[in-house]
Amino acid sequence: MKLHASDSFELRGVLPASAVWAFGWGAMLALDGRLDLANIAMVLVLASALATLWLPISLSLLLTALSVAAFNWLFVPPRHTFAVDLRQDALLLAAMLGVSWIVAGVVTRQRMLASRARHHARQAEQLRSLTEALRDADDPLQRGGLLRDALAEVLGQAPKLLLLRDTMPSSDQPSAVVVIGDPDDHERSGLWHCMRQGHAFGPGTGRHADLPEWYLPLRGRGSAFGAAFVRLNLAERADDALRTQAQALCDQMGLVLQRALHARAASVAREQAQAQGVRNALLAAISHDYRTPLATIMGAASSLVEQGERLSVEQRRHRAQTIVDESVQLSRLTDNTLQLARLDAPGVQLQLDWESAEEIVGAVLRRVRSRDVQHRVHARLEPGLPLVRCDALLLTQMLENLVDNALKYSAAPAPVEIVVRRQAGCVVLAVRDRGSGVAAAWRERIFDAFQRGERCGAGLDDQARRGAGVGLAVCRAVARAHGGELKLRPRAHGGSSFECWLPEQAPPPCADAEGGIAQPAESRP
Amino acid sequence: MSLRVLLVEDDRELRMMLRDALAVEGYEVHTAASLSEGLALLGGLAARSGRSADTGTDLVLLDLGLPDGDGEALLAALRQRHAIPLIVISAREGDGQKIHLLDAGADDYLVKPFSIGELLARMRVALRHRGTAVAPAVTTYQRGPLSIDLAAHEVRLHGAAVHLTPTEFKLLARLVRTAGQVVTHRQLLADVWGPECTEQTHYLRLYMAQLRAKLESDPADPQLLLTEPGVGYRLAD
Repeated sequence: MKLHASDSFELRGVLPASAVWAFGWGAMLALDGRLDLANIAMVLVLASALATLWLPISLSLLLTALSVAAFNWLFVPPRHTFAVDLRQDALLLAAMLGVSWIVAGVVTRQRMLASRARHHARQAEQLRSLTEALRDADDPLQRGGLLRDALAEVLGQAPKLLLLRDTMPSSDQPSAVVVIGDPDDHERSGLWHCMRQGHAFGPGTGRHADLPEWYLPLRGRGSAFGAAFVRLNLAERADDALRTQAQALCDQMGLVLQRALHARAASVAREQAQAQGVRNALLAAISHDYRTPLATIMGAASSLVEQGERLSVEQRRHRAQTIVDESVQLSRLTDNTLQLARLDAPGVQLQLDWESAEEIVGAVLRRVRSRDVQHRVHARLEPGLPLVRCDALLLTQMLENLVDNALKYSAAPAPVEIVVRRQAGCVVLAVRDRGSGVAAAWRERIFDAFQRGERCGAGLDDQARRGAGVGLAVCRAVARAHGGELKLRPRAHGGSSFECWLPEQAPPPCADAEGGIAQPAESRP
Repeated sequence: MSLRVLLVEDDRELRMMLRDALAVEGYEVHTAASLSEGLALLGGLAARSGRSADTGTDLVLLDLGLPDGDGEALLAALRQRHAIPLIVISAREGDGQKIHLLDAGADDYLVKPFSIGELLARMRVALRHRGTAVAPAVTTYQRGPLSIDLAAHEVRLHGAAVHLTPTEFKLLARLVRTAGQVVTHRQLLADVWGPECTEQTHYLRLYMAQLRAKLESDPADPQLLLTEPGVGYRLAD
């Protein structure tokens, strides 16, 4: 259905108009002889006025003139002639014709105004519904179909559309736009040109008026964000109202696209600002973490340099040991920081292999042994654990961090346990301590790189608690990089259990190569 | 005659410190601060020794990031002609790098920072295996309750014979021959299972687990069959 207005003759108006005239004439014939001429004439004027409601003005005027002539023929003496005897009858006929024509004119004009108002209302309604539909769309780029449908409703045919994805590219890259309606190469370049210029082309636009088509830009503020192409028939070429409406719809889309573009730009900027903020906080936290061991090293080393002569052998040895210990601390901090940066980078590649949890735990025990003089760390592994698809170095680093943490946050001689078990389709690597636990408010924040559980763990000196921040953040990053998660679970009788849940994967086929690999059970005594 | 060590390291402080520390241990240390200097020194020492097959050096300590090139070039040049031990000391810690260098012929790889004690221990191990091509291969191993005699095909724990499957024995024997040194997964798989199996690391996991179950008192906390995560295995020395 075409929406564009037509006040032209409509067939369905003929029926009621004919009925009115038929009824009018019936009444006049019936009243002939009972009422005087002037009264019967009123019936004709009434019928004429009523019929005008449905008929176009030309037909109304014609029918009224014919009716007045017929009235003259039938009722005005001398009857059955067009001659008029009395002057007053002549006046009557003239008044009938005049009044009827004026009424027809007024009614038609009224009808035209009403129809135009309806038309405007329909156009406004269409614009409004398009705007609303677009506003509800998350990504207006995906909703080009809405504009196409709206334009099709106006124009009677589907237009071809070009929608700009992002900012205007320097060349006409197909990847920079969404195309709807499959335009040919000529139309496509026309659409690009129209979008770049931000002007409409075609009949009535003042540009390329000889074209048999319109190129309408999807204008936002300042520039266009797409273009529409529509082929025209002869009548439509001159229809300014049609073009105005189509352009309004196009501009609506242009504004929405522009708004979406701005929103995206704003959100990117916001994310960047946020990332910058996180980075700054991280850098501040890391420098703080570095400063403490550095201060200790500085103190011990400068004491050796400046007081070396006056220190006892034992004191000198103690200073040197301090330097070694703190250097190890710094080195681990560096490892963690680098690892965090690496895991945070997009598209990080892990060195995945089938690893044995037992071996990883063994390597961790060996590494932490030097920091665990009281032998507090123990491992407990469920028998028959499957191989885990993981990056062994990363998991080792994660467990080492967790064990270091557990040693730091719980006082000797409370044990620290590494427990590996299967649960709910996962391999769970847990590090459990009997420390003071983590306050509920800190259970999530403790994994942020620049948070430390300063307020939980009273009773431990600040020295013992430093450096957990980056460490736990790395641990969580490691777990997540493996498609798993690191969780903190408070233990029933005090202490924490840090649990890394890794989804279990189907183990590799253990094909027996002729090199002598055999079923593992074969060699069991 | 003291053992001669060629130290190629561009950082002045670290070079001086290592030179002094090694000198204290009785090594004769020659230092180079760049790749070209290292290569020249290697040639010069060989010429002075007067023997064509000898480099005049007993061990090389090699940093990777040198001002005029990568230390790997020196490793390649050295390995073309000589089997003298070479230990890489580098701040690069990626395991891919470690595996690559070990497979390219480095005897060991130490990530900076490291302690002098650890460096000396690694050097002792490397020197013990010096010239494995000509010297009689290591065929016995003794540590704690475990004694292994490869020639006699015998493994004893607390004096009692331990039964190993042929593959388990081959794997253990490979580690014994380079006890104290890291053997990469790839090397182990190629030597024990064959060159076509170098990707099948899960074979290794299974057989190492079996060996640990038979030889370690606590397989979860191994003292003998040590794991170098992401790189390979090392038999404790």
